[in-house]
Amino acid sequence: MVLGTYKEAISARSTDSKILDVSQDGGIVSALLCYALDEGIIEGAVVAGTPDEDWRPIPTVVTSSDEVIAAAGTKYSMSPTLAALKEATRQYGLEKLGVVATPCQVQGLRKAQAYPFSRFVADKIKLIVGIYCMENFPMASLDTFATAKLGFDSLTDATKMDIGKGKFWLTKDGEDTGLAIKETHGYEQAGCNICMDYVAEWADVSTGSVGSPDGWSTVLTRTDDGETVFKAAVDAGLIETKPMDEVKPGLGLLEKLAKGKKDKNGKEREKRAQMGLPLPVEY
Amino acid sequence: MLVSNFLIEVTYLKDRVVISPTSRQEGHAELVMEVDDEGIVTKGMYFSITPVRGLEKMVLSKAPETAPVLCQRICGVCPIPHTLASAEAIDQALGIDIPKNAKLLRRATLAAHNINSAAIHHFLIATDFVPADLFATAVDSVSEVRKTVQYVVDMIAGEGIHPSDVRVGGMARNITPFAKERLIERMTALRPKLEAHIELIKNCVVEKGLPDDLGVVNQPLLAVDPLYGVNDFDMDAFSEVLPEAWYDDPEVGKRGCSVIPLINGENVETGPRARMEKYQGFKGKGVNAQHVARADEMLKNYDACLAALDELDTSGSARADYDPRGTGELGFGIIEGPRGTNAHMAQVKDGKIQFYSAIVPTTWNIPTMGPATEGFHHEFGPHVIRAYDPCLSCATHVMVVDDEDKSILKNEMVRI
Repeated sequence: MVLGTYKEAISARSTDSKILDVSQDGGIVSALLCYALDEGIIEGAVVAGTPDEDWRPIPTVVTSSDEVIAAAGTKYSMSPTLAALKEATRQYGLEKLGVVATPCQVQGLRKAQAYPFSRFVADKIKLIVGIYCMENFPMASLDTFATAKLGFDSLTDATKMDIGKGKFWLTKDGEDTGLAIKETHGYEQAGCNICMDYVAEWADVSTGSVGSPDGWSTVLTRTDDGETVFKAAVDAGLIETKPMDEVKPGLGLLEKLAKGKKDKNGKEREKRAQMGLPLPVEY
Repeated sequence: MLVSNFLIEVTYLKDRVVISPTSRQEGHAELVMEVDDEGIVTKGMYFSITPVRGLEKMVLSKAPETAPVLCQRICGVCPIPHTLASAEAIDQALGIDIPKNAKLLRRATLAAHNINSAAIHHFLIATDFVPADLFATAVDSVSEVRKTVQYVVDMIAGEGIHPSDVRVGGMARNITPFAKERLIERMTALRPKLEAHIELIKNCVVEKGLPDDLGVVNQPLLAVDPLYGVNDFDMDAFSEVLPEAWYDDPEVGKRGCSVIPLINGENVETGPRARMEKYQGFKGKGVNAQHVARADEMLKNYDACLAALDELDTSGSARADYDPRGTGELGFGIIEGPRGTNAHMAQVKDGKIQFYSAIVPTTWNIPTMGPATEGFHHEFGPHVIRAYDPCLSCATHVMVVDDEDKSILKNEMVRI
């Protein structure tokens, strides 16, 4: 299965305007975390915030809905999120923790849970929200896109960053400027080229824009815990949904991109294996 | 290995009883008792057979921050006092005045750890004192107490064993108001359990009915603080002699692995009883008194832990900025650990450690413990030793390898 194991695929959107004002797409990550925090399902979460508003993601421990919303929106550079887990389970005193993670980070988390490796950390993780991820850029790459390729004075001039419709977009003064995705090739992290996971196959719930219309997200509920939280948030009226087969472009596009990542990176893995280079174990 | 599950060798030579290694303690030591015709000990010699600590040498020429990271590995039973003593010695060697919040967090950490360590000792002596019908209760009680106090150490210092967040200059970070509230809540809930635990242990000690004057010594007491420690040490009063010069028996002197530290030329008694007598008005000496003092001190540490948490300002900083180059002066980190006074000393110059030395609690007690067995039947010997809760693992286990073919020439210290 190119999308990994999942219970249900559904198109969804937060019903909270405070979230939709700042969210990347349908605000599903924020809505789920806010719901889980308010209901006491989690006591806090580790997310990628940008405290300096300079697009540099900083792992941030949030313990309230306001803090979740302040950290909303996708960052396209790597957030060393797992590094903040220990602090969250120690000096923050959190015993029920949510994590927003890219597919590679979810793999790390699941390994930490499977092996007795991270004492009193992994056992406190109650909700893993995975985000779709094709690749990720070092900050220097984002700077290059902004200044050298799109003519910005500085990356910090951009008010929004997005990838969609085949382009990398920056917004400045309300105007969107796009850079063809093929122009970004070679600027991604090298490790992203051997990753086989587009849709965070090991998360409790995975979400991202692909497959749903603008302003909506495609949600894959994967585990019992993930399904329970998602359905409860829907029942509570915090998330509205549409069946996947009623929306465009639909699940087919998500499957196509997930398969595309596996095919392309599978070839890269073969190439590296032939060169005798080490490869991470893929599950 | 906490509980020695290998064969303990008890040798009856002419007029001499040898227990090697002594059991239900951390590390390896030997007790040699010369006895008269009735089996009464006329001369007791206790000495460490755990060689080569090495850590003080490993930190030389390294950055000052290396010391607490490596030197906490001196022991996994009391890693907290070693981390704190090491960090405090380096703090002083760098001329750092750590923030008040860091001091409070360190105090709470040590107090919680000292309760934990006393509870572990109660587990080790349970088979000596706890009757069969109360054994499960006692073991559960030890676990209950440990669960909460180790939680406190985990939260504040990062890890219950080998803490990651005690740092040179203070602590890695302060705790949040939420964490503070949770810690106080858990500790408050512990109080009745802890009081019941202390009562249980003290009753078992009384019921066992060991002779009251068993293990009584009249050595000077070594304790520098009621509960935590100081950054001061009287080097003029301090001296060390090699075991060859201390033990009358040349064979024992040759095999003894630790130097003998002395204060004003005398061996000392350190530990909970010494602290309780010196600072808390505790009366009583000997084995029974040592067990009672250790149990009573748990409540003192409990109060100290809660007081430190109460006073903590969660909005303030818990770490000072500092210049890592060092003052060139000797810095002291003297911490009152579960087994007594733990002294670390460090000198830092040009950003590198020039000198490092640690005199750990049991090392002080070693010359005192042997003579404490005297005057009673040798069968009481192990009781006397265990009353000190000795911990001798402050060592690196080494083996001798042939340079040429890497074959192992000597490995008996790895096997034990």
